[in-house]
Amino acid sequence: MRTNYRMNSGVRFQMLSDDQLEEMFWGVLHLLEHTGLDVKHEEARDILEKAGAWVDGERVRIPSYLVKESLRMAPRSFTLYARDGNPKHDIRIGPGRAHFGPGPTCPNFIDVETLDRRPYVRSDVPIVARVVDALPDIDFCESLGTVSDVHHDLGALYEFASMFPNTSKPIVAWSYDQHDSAGIHQIAVAEAGGQRAFEQRPNYVHYCEPLSPLVSTFEALEKLIFAAKHRIPLIFTPCPIAGGTGPVTAAGIVTQGAAESWMGLCVAQALQPGLPFFMGGVYSVMDMNAMILAYGAPELPLFMAGITELAHYAGLPLWQTGGCTDSKCFDGQAVIEGSMSVFFSALSGGDLCHDVGYTESAMTGSVFQLCAMDEAIGYARRITRGIDVNDDTLAVNVIHDVGPNGHYLKEKHTRRHFKSEFWYPNLLDRQDFESWEMTGGLTLKDRTVARVRDILATHSPSPIKPETEKVIEKVLAQAEERVKEK
Amino acid sequence: MSESLERISTAILEGDEEKAPKLVARALRKQVSAKDILENALLVGMGEVGVRFKAGDMFVPEVLMSAEAMRASMELLRPELIREGVQLFGKILMGTVKGDLHDIGKNLVNMMCEGAGFEVIDLGFNAAPEKFLDAIKEHQPQIVGMSAMLTTTMRAMGYTIKAIEEAGLRDQVKIMVGGAPVDAEFAKRIGADGYGSNAPAGAELAKQFVGAA
Amino acid sequence: MSDILEQVSTAIIEGDLDEIVDLTEDALDEELGAEEILNKGLMAGMDHVGVEFKAGNMFVPEVLRSARAMQMSMEILNPLLAESGVQMLGKVLLGTVKGDLHDIGKNLVAMMCEGAGFVVKDLGKDIAPEGFLEAVKEHDPDVLGMSALLTTTMRSMESTIKALEEAGVRDKVKVMIGGAPVTQAFADQIGADGYASNAASAADLAKQLVS
Repeated sequence: MRTNYRMNSGVRFQMLSDDQLEEMFWGVLHLLEHTGLDVKHEEARDILEKAGAWVDGERVRIPSYLVKESLRMAPRSFTLYARDGNPKHDIRIGPGRAHFGPGPTCPNFIDVETLDRRPYVRSDVPIVARVVDALPDIDFCESLGTVSDVHHDLGALYEFASMFPNTSKPIVAWSYDQHDSAGIHQIAVAEAGGQRAFEQRPNYVHYCEPLSPLVSTFEALEKLIFAAKHRIPLIFTPCPIAGGTGPVTAAGIVTQGAAESWMGLCVAQALQPGLPFFMGGVYSVMDMNAMILAYGAPELPLFMAGITELAHYAGLPLWQTGGCTDSKCFDGQAVIEGSMSVFFSALSGGDLCHDVGYTESAMTGSVFQLCAMDEAIGYARRITRGIDVNDDTLAVNVIHDVGPNGHYLKEKHTRRHFKSEFWYPNLLDRQDFESWEMTGGLTLKDRTVARVRDILATHSPSPIKPETEKVIEKVLAQAEERVKEK
Repeated sequence: MSESLERISTAILEGDEEKAPKLVARALRKQVSAKDILENALLVGMGEVGVRFKAGDMFVPEVLMSAEAMRASMELLRPELIREGVQLFGKILMGTVKGDLHDIGKNLVNMMCEGAGFEVIDLGFNAAPEKFLDAIKEHQPQIVGMSAMLTTTMRAMGYTIKAIEEAGLRDQVKIMVGGAPVDAEFAKRIGADGYGSNAPAGAELAKQFVGAA
Repeated sequence: MSDILEQVSTAIIEGDLDEIVDLTEDALDEELGAEEILNKGLMAGMDHVGVEFKAGNMFVPEVLRSARAMQMSMEILNPLLAESGVQMLGKVLLGTVKGDLHDIGKNLVAMMCEGAGFVVKDLGKDIAPEGFLEAVKEHDPDVLGMSALLTTTMRSMESTIKALEEAGVRDKVKVMIGGAPVTQAFADQIGADGYASNAASAADLAKQLVS
């Protein structure tokens, strides 16, 4: 029997001390109480005022006690469910778990057949969703693009309608307005078997984005209010750019971003106490020469580690960013930037890490980058899983039995553990030179392209219910009717 | 394939070293010929193991379990095969050359070769040329395999081949070499008959030497 | 080049807000013409800034400081230039389109255009087609620049161009557009005169459009 013995089986990574986190936490509360935000939605202002906030025109200031009350109401741990009941596709949000998925709304896409960059179209959505469904280390789905070949007000709705049947992994859905939000909700609820069943087993998360610096926009709040009223788990995720729309310093941008998120938190918890709420973001630097939001910068995972620790200190799950690149093609830069940020995201443990598969600074989505990052995530997860130390893993007896100059290949101990102790790559090549040459001398890019095409040729996601298919048809027909005149 | 042969082949595939020889003994009792058991059960199972290993669906410890099951079955079967006059794959003499104490690679090749149906005589590691000579005279193998891990010790392969030539035994055996620093170019230069870049390739090469591939 | 012009140009390059006004006055005291100070001092400095920026040796905050120095000097020179009838580079009217509150990109373009020597009138964000139209009538700009970050809001650029056509002022102004989802193809499709993929090239484009 072990006694008075502390175990660390995984990798423990912490950047900020409790003192630093407490200082940042109070920095956020100070901002919300003394500076406040512009809240561009009347109903939201009313909700906040009734809850105890001070409203002055559009400017809303929130007393600290109210923010702390809202933080207390939001859960740190809950489950996002696979629509088909497959427990392997569920996402359990809670301490010590990081999950990964693609991002939304790139204008362009790398064509799966020609490998050319071109506008993202409706038929790309099922491709992304099926690849997400098949990849072992991608946990949730977004579409990697904005559909360009449907009515421009309906892109988000068509996107969800095409993603939903093609993966049973939980989806993160964005929308243009609350018409979209309602259509998406209708589809998800139909599959779940009614609103009550959906509330118990939510199969998607609603994404809204406030504006930096310090503005809660009408659209973001309109969607937030819809989600809160229907008890849809919510992401409220600003995208401040250090040196542009946020302070240039890491501590400053984290503090501002948290204030922007927590304004949404207060509206959501006032409307629907206990609503699962992710604070968020994409926080990165404005490259002061290229003038882009740098998705491959080391500051991105650094900021993410900071905001992750602040979120967890405050008791909230985090929506974070990683696996993305500023590179224009599948090259060493794409893999360096993507892999480094994925590893850092896995270490810091932000709960949902999105934008995996972004290239060209979020201008082009690539399932190939996504597939390569799946490999990097598997690699990172093996490391973060850490080292188990017990009598069996210590293997003193096995070492004794094998003795000098023996070998372990035929030991039961080896056979029992080799699959769980080792991670096996799907894409990384470890053959000897002759074998590699004989199998075509393929590069990582060749193998990634082949794997994606193989998945698309062979993988079929579990189907949605026939009645959900009918709901999708109806929702799309109604939407087309609505925009006919526009 | 009859059900009893199929069960043997499955036991090989699953690496069940207890069940496989039992099933072989049972089949022999039921008057199934040893040749039939070898060709239509054991080799079929090992063939599937090879396919799955190459596809990345099976891993070394699992292949070794299958090879172990094969070796245990062959122990039973070998006398029967000889009685039936079946041509066996033959014997392989294996060793890590003089000065080299690394023999995990050689051990892997041994197990793969046994799995392929060969009888393997293992000289262990740090085997001097004289030791190879004595063993060739004693065991009359069809194939000699040499392994080296170091660039310093791989030269001993050349000396060993020279010793075999000088003893007038070179024509009796096929010689294969392998190990991390070894390549096909080196094998050719020292006058070996072949080179395997990894353990399964070593077993494949041995099969080619005896015309069984 | 005279010593004082060299100093003006250096003050622009270094973004020396403390010295630029005095140096401009010094140059005028030395009886140099406003046009000469503009061309051989300010513009020479800004050209250098442009080259260094493109080479990756200068960064946005530094360029913006140079542009600010240029503006401070221009406040002194403008009345004199007008007096002597010197043609300025021109006026650029800028705004983020209706429904879109993202204006960091547009702000960058405004600063880059000012640095290039344009007079910039910034309408701000969430500007409807009518807003652009009225501003074009009021300010009579040489270039109208529109920015959008969202695929939904970029459609409003087309409406603005239509509104300009219907009001009969389309020929009086060059239209340039930009923003993350905007492409050259979209610019061609809606009948804009040009598209720029970043703020520095937007300033270059504005120069081309007025030349």
